[in-house]
Amino acid sequence: MPQQTKTSRKPTSRSASPKAPGGKQPSADDIPVLEWIAAGVGLLLAATAVGFTAWDAIFGVVSPPSIEVRLMAVDPTPHGYVAQIKAINHGGSPASQVAIEGVLGDEKANATFDYIPEQSSATGGLIFKGDPRRGPLELRAKGFADAS
Amino acid sequence: MQSNAAYATALARAFGGALLFSFPLLMTMEMWSLGVAVDRMRLVVFLLLSLPMLLGLSYFAGFEPTFRLKDEVLDALAAFAVGVLLSALLLWVFGVLGQNSLFTHATLGKINLCAVPAAIGALLAGKQLGGRGPGGREKADAGPLGELFLMAVGATFLAFNVAPTEEMILIAYQMGPWQALLLVAASISLLHVYVYGLGFPGEERRRQAGGLLRTFVAFTAPGYGIALLISFYLLWTFGRTQGVAPHEIATMTIVLGFPASLGAATARLVV
Repeated sequence: MPQQTKTSRKPTSRSASPKAPGGKQPSADDIPVLEWIAAGVGLLLAATAVGFTAWDAIFGVVSPPSIEVRLMAVDPTPHGYVAQIKAINHGGSPASQVAIEGVLGDEKANATFDYIPEQSSATGGLIFKGDPRRGPLELRAKGFADAS
Repeated sequence: MQSNAAYATALARAFGGALLFSFPLLMTMEMWSLGVAVDRMRLVVFLLLSLPMLLGLSYFAGFEPTFRLKDEVLDALAAFAVGVLLSALLLWVFGVLGQNSLFTHATLGKINLCAVPAAIGALLAGKQLGGRGPGGREKADAGPLGELFLMAVGATFLAFNVAPTEEMILIAYQMGPWQALLLVAASISLLHVYVYGLGFPGEERRRQAGGLLRTFVAFTAPGYGIALLISFYLLWTFGRTQGVAPHEIATMTIVLGFPASLGAATARLVV
């Protein structure tokens, strides 16, 4: 089968190229179905891309990053308690180099998140010597740089 | 059915070309962060400008040997589809999209930004991988305007590969004014040498256009102008000009103008 299609394809591509400069009718009408489909998908994707981005540009909320830090789980490991955290940026602009601090009694742990896009989240961990489940754990974002 | 099979081959070739031309960008960290950070209005402008560029490119290097407007539009749209689908797939495979919830505008921005160079690659593939001999459908009929358009595409293509990186800004900061002027001189001379002196495709036609001075006025000078213009546009789109002193912007434009002018000069090689 594959050999057959190969041999049958060659003449078409050969005959297609001389046809083009002539600009004759036959090739104008038999645009393959697949070409219409591919172009249709392209039109749909282009419209979606431009449409969504334009909608975002015009109606998107413009506000500074507003970052909430949540404790997701605590895993005891041989090298300390890993507090798995999730930072959610509720604001209208992305934040980069987000410094996150966890305070557990008199113990502090830090992590830096490279990027948290607007309305999105990023995850990471803070490592404590004591068990974060026992003491009062305070989590917050301390600062960020504007994304560029 | 045969024409469908032939088109499927062309489409597969387009995917191959898109992959070949866009993977350096898809694997560049700045492209992902820029997809998030780029000003949305500038992204819309960028997308809207890319469509006529794809259309023009389709005319000069489409993956079908055609000249008719309907086919050029269909080809350009298909190339855009290839670009979007390929960048979406690859970015997802690279784990770039998974980090944040899917279908956010961060995801959309990343895909959109990478889709354009991929779509250009898809169209270029028609010529590069197509096995059509040089001069088969060589753009012998590219007039002066077509020539400038091709230069612009070549400049965009090469400049885009490095424009998003931090290095462009770093190089601009490191360079003194004399070094910047030297780079301008080097860019113009190289552009002229590539266009006029070296045996690259399209050169004979240009030599026929007239003497050394004529070539300089007709190709080199506008070529460098286009290279600078496109460099500045790309830097602006990527938000690199925000709050930067004018002389630093000028230096950054000159730095990016170097690859851009090489791209303009060798447009005939890639396009």
